[in-house]
Amino acid sequence: MSVLSRTSSLVRNLLRRKHVEADLDEELRGYVALLAQEKIRDGMNADDARRAALIEAGGMERVKDDVRDARAGLLLETTAQDVRYGLRMLARSPGFTTAAVLALALGIGANSALFSVVDAVLLRPLAYRDPGRLVVLLHNGRNPVAPANFLDWRAQAHAFERMGAAEAWSANVVGGDRPEQLRGLRLTSDVLPLLGVQPLLGRTFLPRDEEAGHDHEIILSYGLWRRSFGADPSVVGRMIALDGEPYAVIGVMPKEFQFAPFWATHAELWAPLPLADRATDRGDNTLRVFARLAPGVTLAQARAEIATITARLEREFPGTNGGVTVTPLKDKVVGDVRPTLLVLLGAAGFVLLIACANVAHMLLARSAARQKEVAVRTALGASRSRMIRQFLTESLILALAGGVAGLALAAIALHALVALGPGNIPRVNTVGLDSNVLAFMMLVSLLTGIGFGLAPALQASAPDLTGALKDGARGPSDGVHRNRMRSVLMTSEFALAVVLLIGAGLMIRSVLAMQRVDPGFNPENLLTMTVSVTGSAEAEPHHRAIFFQQLLHKVQSLPGVQSASAINHLPLAGDLWGYHFHVEGRPIPRPGEAPDATYRVVFPGYFRTMRIPILRGRGITEQDNRNAPAVVVINQWMADRWWPGEDPIGKRITLGDPEHPVWLTVAGVSKNDVQHDWVAPPSEEIFLPYLQTAEYMDGSSSHVSYMTLVVRADCAPSGHACDPAALAPAIRGAVWSFDRSLPVSDVQTMEQAVARSTAEPRFTLLVLAAFAGVALFLAAVGIYGVMSYSVSRRTHEIGLRMALGADRGDVLRRVVGQAMMLTLMGSAVGLAGALLLTRLMSGLLYRVHSTDPLTFVAVAFLLACVALVASYVPARRATRIDPVEALRQA
Amino acid sequence: MNLLQGTLDLLILKSLSLGEMHGLGIARRVEQITQGAFLVKPGSLFPALHRMEEAGWLVSSWGESENNRRAKYYRLSAAGRRQLRAESRTWDRISVAIATALQAT
Repeated sequence: MSVLSRTSSLVRNLLRRKHVEADLDEELRGYVALLAQEKIRDGMNADDARRAALIEAGGMERVKDDVRDARAGLLLETTAQDVRYGLRMLARSPGFTTAAVLALALGIGANSALFSVVDAVLLRPLAYRDPGRLVVLLHNGRNPVAPANFLDWRAQAHAFERMGAAEAWSANVVGGDRPEQLRGLRLTSDVLPLLGVQPLLGRTFLPRDEEAGHDHEIILSYGLWRRSFGADPSVVGRMIALDGEPYAVIGVMPKEFQFAPFWATHAELWAPLPLADRATDRGDNTLRVFARLAPGVTLAQARAEIATITARLEREFPGTNGGVTVTPLKDKVVGDVRPTLLVLLGAAGFVLLIACANVAHMLLARSAARQKEVAVRTALGASRSRMIRQFLTESLILALAGGVAGLALAAIALHALVALGPGNIPRVNTVGLDSNVLAFMMLVSLLTGIGFGLAPALQASAPDLTGALKDGARGPSDGVHRNRMRSVLMTSEFALAVVLLIGAGLMIRSVLAMQRVDPGFNPENLLTMTVSVTGSAEAEPHHRAIFFQQLLHKVQSLPGVQSASAINHLPLAGDLWGYHFHVEGRPIPRPGEAPDATYRVVFPGYFRTMRIPILRGRGITEQDNRNAPAVVVINQWMADRWWPGEDPIGKRITLGDPEHPVWLTVAGVSKNDVQHDWVAPPSEEIFLPYLQTAEYMDGSSSHVSYMTLVVRADCAPSGHACDPAALAPAIRGAVWSFDRSLPVSDVQTMEQAVARSTAEPRFTLLVLAAFAGVALFLAAVGIYGVMSYSVSRRTHEIGLRMALGADRGDVLRRVVGQAMMLTLMGSAVGLAGALLLTRLMSGLLYRVHSTDPLTFVAVAFLLACVALVASYVPARRATRIDPVEALRQA
Repeated sequence: MNLLQGTLDLLILKSLSLGEMHGLGIARRVEQITQGAFLVKPGSLFPALHRMEEAGWLVSSWGESENNRRAKYYRLSAAGRRQLRAESRTWDRISVAIATALQAT
């Protein structure tokens, strides 16, 4: 049963059923009354007449049933007829049907696939209770908050039902075949209750868990519980060793629970966050603050209150409470990918529109060919609405077939999207073809079926009866209106294709510009991995530096290793810390205005291993240890900015509080390298020798007890097929030769890290390019179809022209010229549209303006070439028309 | 005599070709023009009328009967007239063919 008839009977049932029933009732009562009147006229008394009439009429209910059946049966029958007839007509022209279904499948498939991503990522609510009331408090919407500030906000604000804070945390688990570093979060006891999520087993944290002595408790994620504890239901109460200390398992979270939803998205275990001994700390910004709005409080009110509180605190503690933002959690979670997804969804919509336009003019061509059939049927009594219904049934069959095929395409495309997509799309793991997507697909199919079917149906059902019935009577004026509609369709198809191609072109230019970025180091043949000593014997003060030094010596002596070093935070992949610095002799900055620099702590040989050129002075050596004067290497940007036209070597800076300086002498200037973001402009960066950095050598925090090894493979001997990743087992072995309990994580080549940092634009490019390719293909098929059709309809006219002396060149020029005219109009409209629309994607572009003239011109040129080729074939056919033959046919 | 479905449709169309009529009127008219050969019962009349209305051959409207009763009146649409012509031609061909067949020895 077609969707159309289902909807029409639904509408009938909903709107007319009562009316129809009442009507029928009254009609039959009228009938009986009239019958009785006849009998009275014949001489019966009133009662007898009435009784006789009722008997004669036979049970009224049965009559009603029969009437209902007749109505419903007819509806079913005509629909079934339409569907049967439609299927037969479609089967009779398999070429057309395949082309149309394919075009629609591409359009609907692209849309369903992207819709399912958008649905999972943007539309479906977060898996917390009433997630629309959850907000995040950060500095400038991005930067973490100091403990004392959080405690003040929590104590003073009334706009929130609850407020809690989270801090990144990692813990080493020893035991099993491989020691493992687990990522987790420390949470204040408010966080889980404010999210409104109940644990699967056990309990969540209580306020007392934040006190010293109670903070060795953990809650496991469902995944970790399954993986490491075999989903043991009695796990609550068990003790496990983390970082060499005992922790009690107090709960397990449900399967769908994920926290935090942005940043630290891979957290698998949660522990309490004691803040008592940091209650006055306004300098150590490590917390992300989460809150639930109190009932009846609007976001604007909450923002106003926080603005008042932070302004007061800022006056009291200058430089600590600037730019505090209250952001809805959902915006924070999806904010970064929203523009990308919306641009892609828009592009998918364009593909669908092009597919519709394509199918619509295929249908128009067909309806021209079917004029005679329509005329015959109309002459035999088919009403116009009946014909429209017939044509619409056919286009709906096409659309549904396209939808089903599109769903298959979408399933394949989704696999590719999720596999190729950058890892940073939140909640991408929940993407799938579910009932939402199915409903979307059905709706889109329905709309497209009506969209591309209506115009041809209206046109086909109003044919010129007498003209069509007479064989071969095609006047020169025939189908002027039809041709105009085809031209409009073709023009819009080109216009849409132009916009898509320009979008893809701009992305290509962006990605090319990104590939030209000089990272400042050579990422080839580099292997990196993180070694953590938290909780082990190597973590002891004085022991740690010796361990890492010995490890690096051992790694350097491994076969196939050219050089090895280590850094606290690997560029692109690792954390990013900034430190305030002060240059000797400059005025002391006001609080909150001190400049800061990216903070790197490295072992000797780092610059050599990474191949970062030292532009002045020297790099960091073995001699830069506790006994030597403290030195620092700065990057070129910092040198140029702070000592323009001067030699910075020998100048001194201090980190932290300028009132109590600990001077570091600039020993060298390194070339600018990318720091955290592949495309960010350079900023100040400082490199400190590990062997002079007490914080790292002696600090107890887990933040400073891991280092990332960078190992350059020696590719010279073989000269080819050098795979740095092949060194991983040997290096891991070297680590474990010191201590079997040390976890080694994040094993990746530097090239992988680079690829990951540019994954999102490349992914966008891939999808846009695929869409643009489909669009170009459909447009080419479209112009080919239009021109072929036009040539076949104008055989007579062309024959006449040739008989009158036009040569083949003239004919060729006329046909190609007509195609180029359409292309030109389409391109003009498309370029104008692109001027307006590409602005929306300017946030996705890198070093390319959204109205980049080169891209615009190139796309217009490409399209002209494609149109030229696509129209040349039918034009050649036109030149081969035999004038005698063509005129005789007429 | 029982009626073939197509026959009843044709008779209804024919009855209405003179003007609009209500259900009982149609039944009486069919009796009259077939000289009493066909008695149309409401059990077959009304389903046929509604089916033909749904098919677009008939148009109905409410009116007053000759005795001031509300009754539903039917008349032919343009499609109904075309249908009458088409069915009459078909019937002519069939009846000629059947008659010829029966006369053959």
